[in-house]
Amino acid sequence: MSIMEYNGGSVIAMVGKNCVAVASDLRLGNQALTVATNFEKVFPITDRIYLGMSGLATDVTTLRETFRYRVNMYTIKEERDIEPEAFAHLVSSTLYERRFGPFFIEPVIAGLSKTSSGAFRPYIAGADLIGCLNFAKDFVVAGTASEKMFGVAEGLWEPDLEPEDLFETISQTLLNSVDRDAYSGWGAIVHVITPEQVITRTLKARMD
Amino acid sequence: MNTFIDRFSTTSAASQVRKLKEQEEDEFSDAAWGSEAGFGNLAKGIPSFSVPSVHDPTAFLRLHTDDHADPNCRIKIQHGTTTLAFRFQGGVIVAVDSRATAGSYIASGTVKKVIEINPYLLGTMAGGAADCQYWETYLGIQCRLHELRNRERISVAAASKYLSNLVYSYKGMGLSMGTMICGWDKTGPAVYYVDSDGTRLKGDLFSVGSGSTFAYGVLDQGYHWDLTDEEAQELGRRSIYAAGHRDAFSGNTCNLYHVKEDGWNFIGNFDISKMHYEGPGNVPGAPGTGYGYDVRVLGRNSSNPPPPEAAPAVAAHA
Amino acid sequence: MVAVPDMDSLVNPQQRQFNPYTENGGTILAIAGADFTVIAGDTRQSEGYSIQTRYAPKVFRLTDKAVLAVNGFAADGNMFVKKVKQRLEWYRHAHAKDMPLRAIARLIQTMLYARRFFPFYVYNILGGIEDDGTGAVYSFDPVGSYERETCRAAGAAQSLVQPFLDNQIYFKNQLAAPGMSHPTHLPLPDVLSIVIDSFTSATERHIEVGDGLEMYVVLAKGRGLGGMEAIGGVQELSERTEGERLFVVRRELKKD
Repeated sequence: MSIMEYNGGSVIAMVGKNCVAVASDLRLGNQALTVATNFEKVFPITDRIYLGMSGLATDVTTLRETFRYRVNMYTIKEERDIEPEAFAHLVSSTLYERRFGPFFIEPVIAGLSKTSSGAFRPYIAGADLIGCLNFAKDFVVAGTASEKMFGVAEGLWEPDLEPEDLFETISQTLLNSVDRDAYSGWGAIVHVITPEQVITRTLKARMD
Repeated sequence: MNTFIDRFSTTSAASQVRKLKEQEEDEFSDAAWGSEAGFGNLAKGIPSFSVPSVHDPTAFLRLHTDDHADPNCRIKIQHGTTTLAFRFQGGVIVAVDSRATAGSYIASGTVKKVIEINPYLLGTMAGGAADCQYWETYLGIQCRLHELRNRERISVAAASKYLSNLVYSYKGMGLSMGTMICGWDKTGPAVYYVDSDGTRLKGDLFSVGSGSTFAYGVLDQGYHWDLTDEEAQELGRRSIYAAGHRDAFSGNTCNLYHVKEDGWNFIGNFDISKMHYEGPGNVPGAPGTGYGYDVRVLGRNSSNPPPPEAAPAVAAHA
Repeated sequence: MVAVPDMDSLVNPQQRQFNPYTENGGTILAIAGADFTVIAGDTRQSEGYSIQTRYAPKVFRLTDKAVLAVNGFAADGNMFVKKVKQRLEWYRHAHAKDMPLRAIARLIQTMLYARRFFPFYVYNILGGIEDDGTGAVYSFDPVGSYERETCRAAGAAQSLVQPFLDNQIYFKNQLAAPGMSHPTHLPLPDVLSIVIDSFTSATERHIEVGDGLEMYVVLAKGRGLGGMEAIGGVQELSERTEGERLFVVRRELKKD
């Protein structure tokens, strides 16, 4: 039994035209037993950055608080919000601190970073459980349904999707992937981050 | 000492293997060339199996196929199931899910886990899919031969004992089956549990598979001998739903059968997610609402806000 | 200097394992239409990180109306196909006709189960035209459990391809427009482009998939070519044009 499959769960992030989307399923299990169907794995970090974590649920909760603390300290010291690039490296170094006794999570970061001209540029990144960053230009996936999401996303995703189309693409990718994974599913939540607002929707998903 | 006994015993797995090895795999009877071609290894009437030429063929098979011992082994046999059957005043209800998993991958959501042996006999499928499919089809052949020889239908007791004796003769060789043989004979409705260890039990109510504990929870709570047909069918459906919802390795759809005096009837195929949100549809015994927990608490207290249609479709955050 | 075996290896028992299996990668896929079936497979054969050959077919013509795709251990696969073809020839000699598809499916079950205790390490997908003229796909596990389906992917990239197919073929998680319903079967050109998309996606994300793609198309009797004319690089394999017709379409996949 792999500890990364103990609780189950999956997260995904995608790049669109001037927007990003990040989504997770809602299952928390104890191996085959489904314990809860309202366990969100994506958390707001700033108004424009969301962090998704899949893996061991206790570490997801612990790291969520760790990052809240560290981002608050950054905001106080720097007197400004953290940018996605800096946050990705904060995630990376936090995970690498536990190089020889890791947190059993794989993070997914999605956000809009501010360019020097004042415009926003979509930013996503993923990492392994000891913090090796992966700066993908299209999508990043993590969790027990990651293989399935790679396959579906590779077939559905295209460049420069508008927010509503990006929402549909990430939702279809996640839902169809978790329906082929025994350890993920039981509901899903999607966040689409645009310069103006964050659109959050819970999806009606299969409950088996 | 054990190997010594094995060498001379006539009932152990090792002697079975020895017996099987004596038959050459490519030794086809003349019938295989003619009108009986197409019967595969059944051409000779009794099936024969090829066995690897190693000291311990059972260990060989386990090494390459058992995914409990080694999740990385090459040949994955499909596992994970919920099946149930119970006897009541109106006959027998048989209900099963339709999911097959290989590791965490859901290999299929449309598996037929009820095997229609003949118009009066049903067998359920848990454990190795091929073992159940093959041997219950084989059982169907033998039941038909019994009919032709004895001019009467085989009893459920006899059919189940035929299967139980058959799998017992392969004991220790790695067959994996947990099945319920259900039907109606001269004695009325009957359910027998048969598994590959050789266990054979007569009973009123059984559930088999990884989701059986969840199904038993609902089944035991609602079971009564005097259930009406509609109530009994609903209980079978509701029990499979419970297992599909809580067990990761069960789900997709529920196949429901009802055995009566004149043989079995297929009641229907019910989507488990649809049952969660809307219920089983317009069928006898249906409650008219979804089975889901959240469907029942929605809008009833502050931690379960009103239904989505009352809330704005898009919840905007800063 | 004479090599003297160390005493240890002579005195103590030596354990050896019999391991007759290996995994040769690749992916196969079949989709049934109303009156046609497409059976496809890539042509890469690998072992570990090495490519053994860029062209090793995994899809085989059995009859004019039946095609078998095999995936897993290539040696077992080729041997199995050979044995199925042999049994079908015997049947032809005895009955002066081709074996019906559903009978081939049952034959394959019994042939696989005959090796229950020494399995062929092969995942089979059988595609073709049923006696009633409908397209059919049968999928098997290595020891012979089988089921008729509309679409199935197997092999190294099955977990990448199958959920995509669920979405595009079965319209899973998609709501039909109000007053409309999803089609139960897609037209041939749509199916072919979904197959090509599936394999280009799998090639992109799986190291064991790539090099070439072979798509066998079986058309029901009297169906006409509807949709086949527009496709380039088609080769006809059927022996007669009045019965079911069999074609193969080949495409290149990335080789890296």
